[in-house]
Amino acid sequence: MNRIRLTVNGREREIEVEACKLLVHAVREDLGLTGTHVGCLTGDCGACTVLVDGASVKSCSVLAVQADGAEITTIEGVAGDDGLHPVQQAFWDEFGFQCGYCLPGMLLTARELLDRTPDPGDDAIVQAINGNLCRCTGYGSIVRAIRCAATRMAASGERAEEAS
Amino acid sequence: MTVTTSGASGARAIGSRVRKADGPALLTGRGRFLDDHTLPGTRHAVVVRSEVAHARIVDIDVRAAAASPGVVLVLTGAQAAAHAGPIPHFIDPAARGGRYAEARCLAVGKVVHAGQPVAAVVADTRRAAEAAAALVRVEYERLPHVLDADESLEPDAPRLYEEWPDNVILHNHYGTGDVDAALAEADLVVSDTIRIARTTTAPIEPRGYLASWDDLDGTLTVYGSLQNPHQLRWMLARSLGLDETAIRVVTARVGGSFGLKMQGHPEETLVCLLSKLTGAPVKWIEDRRECFMAGAREQVHRFTIGAMRDGRIVAVRDRIVADLGAVSAQAGWAMPNMSATTLASGYTVPNVQAELHVVVTNKPPLNAARGFGKDSAHFVMERMVDLVARGLGVDPAEVRRRNFIPPDRFPYRTATGLNIDSGDYPGLLDKALRALDYDALRARQAELRAAGRYLGIGLAFELTPESADGPGSFVSGFDVTTVRMTMTGGVTVYTGVTTPGGGNDTGIAQIVSDELGVPLSWITVVQGDTERCPSGFGNFSGRSMVVGGGSAALAARDVRAKLATVGARLLGVPVNEVEVTDGQVRAGDGRAVPVPDVAAAVMTRAFAVADDVEPVLESTRAYKPGNIDHVPDERGRIQPYPTYSNCLHAAVVEVDPETGVTKLVDFVMAHDCGTIINPALVEGQARGAIVMGLGAALSERLTYDADGRLTSDRFKTYLMPRAGDLPEIRLEHQVTPSPFTMYGNKGAGEAGVGGAQAAVANAVEDALAPFGVTVREVPLSPPAVLALIDEARTR
Repeated sequence: MNRIRLTVNGREREIEVEACKLLVHAVREDLGLTGTHVGCLTGDCGACTVLVDGASVKSCSVLAVQADGAEITTIEGVAGDDGLHPVQQAFWDEFGFQCGYCLPGMLLTARELLDRTPDPGDDAIVQAINGNLCRCTGYGSIVRAIRCAATRMAASGERAEEAS
Repeated sequence: MTVTTSGASGARAIGSRVRKADGPALLTGRGRFLDDHTLPGTRHAVVVRSEVAHARIVDIDVRAAAASPGVVLVLTGAQAAAHAGPIPHFIDPAARGGRYAEARCLAVGKVVHAGQPVAAVVADTRRAAEAAAALVRVEYERLPHVLDADESLEPDAPRLYEEWPDNVILHNHYGTGDVDAALAEADLVVSDTIRIARTTTAPIEPRGYLASWDDLDGTLTVYGSLQNPHQLRWMLARSLGLDETAIRVVTARVGGSFGLKMQGHPEETLVCLLSKLTGAPVKWIEDRRECFMAGAREQVHRFTIGAMRDGRIVAVRDRIVADLGAVSAQAGWAMPNMSATTLASGYTVPNVQAELHVVVTNKPPLNAARGFGKDSAHFVMERMVDLVARGLGVDPAEVRRRNFIPPDRFPYRTATGLNIDSGDYPGLLDKALRALDYDALRARQAELRAAGRYLGIGLAFELTPESADGPGSFVSGFDVTTVRMTMTGGVTVYTGVTTPGGGNDTGIAQIVSDELGVPLSWITVVQGDTERCPSGFGNFSGRSMVVGGGSAALAARDVRAKLATVGARLLGVPVNEVEVTDGQVRAGDGRAVPVPDVAAAVMTRAFAVADDVEPVLESTRAYKPGNIDHVPDERGRIQPYPTYSNCLHAAVVEVDPETGVTKLVDFVMAHDCGTIINPALVEGQARGAIVMGLGAALSERLTYDADGRLTSDRFKTYLMPRAGDLPEIRLEHQVTPSPFTMYGNKGAGEAGVGGAQAAVANAVEDALAPFGVTVREVPLSPPAVLALIDEARTR
C-alpha cells in the first residue's frame, strides 16, 4: 500500500492505495466522491475527467500514486458557496445534458477550456469536448451551453471591472 | 385560513421549456447512479464468459478460482440451475407464433455465443473477483458455428437449438394486395438488396445491479440501472421461485439506456442468486467490453418496388432476413417484426408484401434498441423511394409528396394493418425544404459539381408507431400514476413510468402542475420503485408522456376536484364558481384561499367544512389511450399503437472521392409529435436519436472475428459520433395533435435513428451521382464509400 497526499476540491486528503489503483477508483472509493463516473476504463469516453493541477485528465488513465501531491478538482468541487458555477448554470439552462452520466466530465472539460480561453470560438469548444462522449444530446446543446457560459462569465467579469 | 385577493398569473407549464428537475443533483455530482449505491458488506461479482461461439461444456474447473484471495463463491451453470429456473421472456416468442428457447442466467451444458455467461465469481473486491475469474478453466468441445444469417438459413447450417427444425425463431408474412399484378402493370420496377450492419445502443453508463437478500425475512431488494422495475420483479419471481411480494426492485438513476436496460438479461437473475447464496449484498457492474455485446439491429432486405410514370408507388415486396444472434429473454427478437409491420411507412402503397425470417446465429443476442425495428423499415423504404425517383428522373422530394398519405385521409389503415391517427406529411416536407432552401441548395450542388466537389442532399420520411401494447405481454399500452398531496400542500407523484435520463419526470410534473393548479416547485416525481410506485410498465416505445402523462393528469384532476369542493366552502361560494390555479383556490370575485390551507382543512376538519368529502388527498389512475385494437381484422391484422409521430429528415453531405470521407454539412429534421409538453425535452430526444442514426449511417458497426469473438469491443473500434463529427442539428416543429391521446401528444424519443440513417445514405448516393453509385449498405465508412466508387467505375 502507498500513502498519498492530495488536495481535493481545496481540502487536504491522505489515502492509502495499492500501486495499481486507478485515480478514478481512488476518487470514487477512497475519497468517496462518486460524482466522477466510469464509462469505459480505456480513456475514450471522458466520463471520468477530473482536473489535476488545473489540467483535465481522464482519471481512468492515471494511477492514483501518480497524482501524489497534486491538486484535484472533481465535479463536487465546481460549485461555489454561492451556488452553481456559471458553467453548471449554463448547462442547466441550455439542456446541456440528459441522463447526466457524461456531465461531470463535460463540465470539468468546459471549465478548463474557459479558464484558459475565456472567449472560445465554436471550433475551440468542439475541439475541447471531442474527447468526451455523450450518447443522449447529440452535443449541440453542450456547445451552446459552453458558449453561453463564456458569454455570461465575460459579462460578469466586465461588471466586476466596472464596479472596481 | 388566509384569503387573499392577488391576481393569478395563469401561466401554463405545459408547452414551456422547463429545465430538468434533476439538474441541481446531476450538475453537482450528487446524482446517485447504480455504482454509487453501496450497502454494508457489499461483495462484487464478475462473470466468466464463453471464449467460443458454439460448444458443449465438458468441464468447469473452479478450484484455483475458489482458492484465490478474497473469493467468497464461484458458481457454475450446473450449480445455478439447482437454484434458479429459466428466465421468462419479456415477450415469449412462442406466444407470437415463433419458437421458444430457454434462457438461463448461466449456460447449462452448452454455449451458443462467445461472451455467454458460464460461471460467476463473488469476492470481497472487484479486482479480487476479476483475478479469480481468470483462473476458472472451462473445457469446451467445440461445435461448428454460424455467424451470418443467410448462411444460418441453409439446410446444412450448424443448429443452435437442437430441438428446433432449423435456425428460424420467427417466420411471418405481412401486408395485403396483389404485388405481382401491380408490378406487372408498373412503369418502373426496381429490385435490389440492402444490408444494415449490426450496431449497438452503448449508453455511457453500462448496466449494473446490486442485489440484497435478507435471509431473516426472506426478501430480496434489487437496485438496478434498468427501465422496467415491475416487469423485472415478475421475471425475478419466476426465475428465482419467489413470491413477487417478497421482491422490491428500485431503479437507480439511469445513465442512458435506449432500450438496452429493458429486462431479460442473464445478470439480473444471476446477481440476485449470488446474493442469496452468499448471504451478502452483491454488486455487478457491466464493463464496456461486455456492454458492446448487445446488438441493436442487423438486417438484409431483398426488395422490389414498382411505380407508375407519374411517381405513384404501386407495390412493395420485401424479403427480410434479420440476425438475432443467440436467443435471450430480452425483447430483441421481436424488433424485426416491427420492421416488416412499419412498411410502407406513411405512403399510400396499396400492395405490400413482406416476408420475414428472424434467424439465430452464434453471435451475442439483439437487445431492444431505440427504434425497435421501425428504424430499419424506414431505412429501406426511404432508399426504395430514392431509387424510384432516380429511375423515373423525378426529384426525390416530389416522389415523396406524390405518395404521402394526404392529411385528410386520417385515420389511415396501412396495408400491414397499422391505423395511423393523424398527420400532415406534405407540411413536414415543406418545412424541411424551406429550412434547407432546397432549390438554392440544388443550384449550389450543381456549381460545386462543376468544380469537382461532391455535395449530396438526402431526404427521408420517418413514421414512428408509439406507445405500444402487445397483447399477452408486459409491453403494455397503459400506465398508472398516483398523485398525493400532503397537509401542507406538497405534491408527490408516483408513476409507473421510468426515465432513462430524457426528463419525462419533468414533463409529468408540468402536467400535474397545470392539472392540479399548483406551482411546479411544489411537485416531486418518484419513479422506478416497486414499493412506492403503482404497478406500471416503465419506459419503452415513446410511451412515458402518453400514458405516464395521461394517468398523472387524471389523478391530478381528482385531487383538484376535492380541493375545489372544500376551497369553495371556505370561500362561501358554489364549487362551480372557483378555479384552482397558482396554488390557490380562487373565487370569481378575486378572493382566494391557498391550496395548503385547503389541504389542511380536508385533513383536519373532516367532520366540519370537509364533511361528506372523503378525506384522502390522493388518487391513483390508469390511462388507456384510444386507437389500440387487438381484435384481428378480416386479414388477421391487429393495431397495437395508439399514435404515430412522424418526421422528415434532410441531410446535406460532402463526400471526398479520394479519401471516401463523408462530411456532414447540414442536417434538418422537421418533426411532428403532436402536442408538445416540453419543447426542449422533445428536441433533446430528437437530436440524440438523430445522432445515433448518423453514427449508424457513417461509422458504427459491431465486428466479430471468424470464431465469433467481438472485435469492436471499445470506443476506439466502435466509432460513435463525437462533437467534431457533427453539424448543428436543426429542428422544425409541426403540431398535428393525435385525437387518441390525452393532450394530442404522440411520443418522442424513438424517432430519428432510421430516418437519419436513410437521409445520409440517400445524400451520399446523391453526392456520388456523377459516378453512378448505388448505396446498398450502412455504415458508409470511408472504405465502404471508396468501394462504392470503385465498383461504379469498373462497371
